[in-house]
Amino acid sequence: MLCLHIAPGKAEAGEYAARIEYADLEHIDDGYDVQAHIDYRLSPTAKEALHKGVRLTWDVSIELRQPGVLWDTIIHKHKLTYSLQFHALLNQYVVQTPFDRSEMFLTLSAAMNFMAAVHDSTPIPAERVTTGTPYLLAVKTQFNREQLPIPLRPVAYLDNQWFLSSAWYTWPIQK
Amino acid sequence: MAHSKIKLPASATIVLLFGFVLLSLQLMSSATQGSSELGEMYSWLLVINTLGSVILLGLVAFNAYSLVRELKKKEAGSRLTTRMVSLFVLLALAPAAIVFYFSVQFLHQGIDSWFNVEIDRAMDDALELSQSSLNQRMTWHIKQTKQMADQLRDKSEALIAMEVGSLWADSGALEIAVFSNQGRVLASSSVNPSDILPHLPDEQIWLQLRQNKEYFAFDPGDNDEMLVRIIVAIEADQSRFLQALFPIPVRVTDLADSIEFAFIRYQEMNFLRDSLKTSFSLILLLVLLLSLLAAIWVAFISIRNIVAPVKELVKGTQAVADGDYQQQLPVMNQDDLGFLVESFNQMTRRIARSRDETRAAGLEVENQRAYLETILANLTAGVISFDAAFYIRTANQAAYRILHIPVSHFVGETLPTLATLHSELADVLNAIQSLLEKADDIWEQRIVFLGPNGRQELLCRGTPLFSQHGARTGAVVVFDDVTDLIQAQKNAAWGEVARRLAHEIKNPLTPIQLSAERLQHKLSKELQDGSAEFLQRGTRTIVQQVEAMKRMVDDFSEYARPSKKQVEKINLVDLIQEVVALYLPSGIVFSTKFASDRVLVEADPVSLRQVLHNLIKNAQEATSTPCRIEIKIAKVSRNNTDYVELGIYDNGNGLNAEQLETIFDPYVTSKAKGTGLGLAIVKKIVEEHGGVIWVDTSYNGGAGFLLQLPVFEFGNFK
Repeated sequence: MLCLHIAPGKAEAGEYAARIEYADLEHIDDGYDVQAHIDYRLSPTAKEALHKGVRLTWDVSIELRQPGVLWDTIIHKHKLTYSLQFHALLNQYVVQTPFDRSEMFLTLSAAMNFMAAVHDSTPIPAERVTTGTPYLLAVKTQFNREQLPIPLRPVAYLDNQWFLSSAWYTWPIQK
Repeated sequence: MAHSKIKLPASATIVLLFGFVLLSLQLMSSATQGSSELGEMYSWLLVINTLGSVILLGLVAFNAYSLVRELKKKEAGSRLTTRMVSLFVLLALAPAAIVFYFSVQFLHQGIDSWFNVEIDRAMDDALELSQSSLNQRMTWHIKQTKQMADQLRDKSEALIAMEVGSLWADSGALEIAVFSNQGRVLASSSVNPSDILPHLPDEQIWLQLRQNKEYFAFDPGDNDEMLVRIIVAIEADQSRFLQALFPIPVRVTDLADSIEFAFIRYQEMNFLRDSLKTSFSLILLLVLLLSLLAAIWVAFISIRNIVAPVKELVKGTQAVADGDYQQQLPVMNQDDLGFLVESFNQMTRRIARSRDETRAAGLEVENQRAYLETILANLTAGVISFDAAFYIRTANQAAYRILHIPVSHFVGETLPTLATLHSELADVLNAIQSLLEKADDIWEQRIVFLGPNGRQELLCRGTPLFSQHGARTGAVVVFDDVTDLIQAQKNAAWGEVARRLAHEIKNPLTPIQLSAERLQHKLSKELQDGSAEFLQRGTRTIVQQVEAMKRMVDDFSEYARPSKKQVEKINLVDLIQEVVALYLPSGIVFSTKFASDRVLVEADPVSLRQVLHNLIKNAQEATSTPCRIEIKIAKVSRNNTDYVELGIYDNGNGLNAEQLETIFDPYVTSKAKGTGLGLAIVKKIVEEHGGVIWVDTSYNGGAGFLLQLPVFEFGNFK
């Protein structure tokens, strides 16, 4: 384990906002793999919409930043899209992973747990990371309102029941 | 190089604006349908349209604010613009609001009609039917798998490996596998020989398996097929498990998927019912807002363009009302309003031309009037004009000089009113008034009156004025003071008489006297004493009378002879005191009142001395009681010339009215021995020195004479 766990750099306001519980880099053969755990929280309206067949989509953004005086330099970024849907016929929850794979779960918590464990299979190339340089690993998950049905979109921008995104969470990484 | 600015015409701008609004609304409408790729742009289109509405609202609000400010300032055309805009907004808003209300009602009812209890139940039943069908199939496969597990129970791994193939063939499963509770595959058989490894359960399945000792669930298979995964324990101690994967027939899968899709779609629509209503209402509202606001904004621009010529006309009319006739308005369009503006320009040009002509005519009239006034002012004759009611309209300077009252200050008054204010002129003014009222034609009349300077004689000519229609519009009276003229005529006549008397009478007097003396000389010695004495008395009488006649003729000659003055500056006060001193022994009581002790006049001292002698003698002879004479000297100004006014008053019997008229005429006397030339000579001398003399009629204690002479220097007042 090469990373150093420190408390997240930002806290997110909002009753149903997701939170990034931790994130780190794991060294693999040809680079570094990002691992994170996200605490998704569904509001009653979101749950109702899910059970009525509405697909919920989150975009998990991952950035590796090099801190600067005025601004940080992004040396790697990647986005993973997860979607959650209820299969009424089978009474199961289907999670569509970023890798075009569908996973079915009997319970909602099982499906949410699956989504919570982020494992980016696209590693950060080792040559991009310099030894001894401090980095920031930033993760956030963005609830994609534009994937909701059109009539629901204006409401989703105004109703805090649909404020399911997290802010950016950053962890300092010292290789 | 001059910059050229490309400016789109208003109509093109309006068409572009409406095109943009319609395009934006059409895109949003298409996005709402969800049937196009525009669905991804829906939120942006919503934001753009909302921003457009806000911008248009801002433009409309700005225009409305500007209009309110113009209204407060009462600018031209603002009220017309307000009325037109209000009318337009009312006409546009009312039907739009009605259409919007009923559209929303119709939309909500339409959406509600999509859902009802029967369809809900049918959808639930259809889903339950599908689930029952699948569950029934799963139950059968569970039973089938358990039977296979019973067949494999308590058998060795080698035997199991041998029987798995036959079991797979009999069951119709896609795959059968036996694995240990550690996940080690003991045997497997699959429909696809290329699958070396069976589809092993994942972590979650293992977790459920350990809890429930069996697992069954539908799994998504490859190529969108659906599988039934069943795992049961072969032994009671769960050391080995049998997993069977059964396929669901494609037809069943399709039907189930179709039912599920319809169910989910229905559920989703049901869930989105309120959102749909809100969304469609929002679109409708945006359409209404954009259309209305764009229309109102365009209405503002169009109405301002329409009202612009009217505004210019109002400004032009105000300018004309304020007297600016040079206003020329720009003709913007060749329409009815353009014609109106052109007509206005023609009207102002004509008014300006007429104004200039009128002004020129007025100026000419004014010049004429000023010219006439100048002539009138410089006329020696007094001129007074009256209106139809005989109120004074104008009076010249000569009227003041002749009447001694500023007639021009009494414009708007009548002559009787003037007479009440100046009682000394009442006779002449009332006489003129009477003549004015009676005369229908030109009249001429001599009017004699006693003015402040004594007797005056006016020659008055009156002319009634008539309008073109014969109506009487007033009258003009021209009068001249002919007192001096008549006096001069009289003097000339009397001078001629005197000259003839001197010539005709004086010549024979000397022979008469000589003859009488010769008779006395020759006959006195020859006659007796009585006769000689008689002759002597007779010749003496003749000689005395001839001498008296000679003196009388000399007086006449003196009166008729042109004066030979030796003018010098003399102090009138000193002269008076010298003359008075001569009369003191005679017992006359003099009282003097001189405003100054130095009053220089340019005069012949001999003539002036004679004047004083004649006046004092006249007073002395007219007074029987002890004579008291009062002499006053004062300074007066008349016609911008300073005069010394000398007043001589006695305590005699005074003068009656008849005497007043002829007192200064020659040969007029009330005395037995007088020649009647004393006062006539006084008047002659005074007038020869540029002065005047008259009887002070206001003095009642006797006779009073006032004479005025031009003064050279009047010393300081005492």
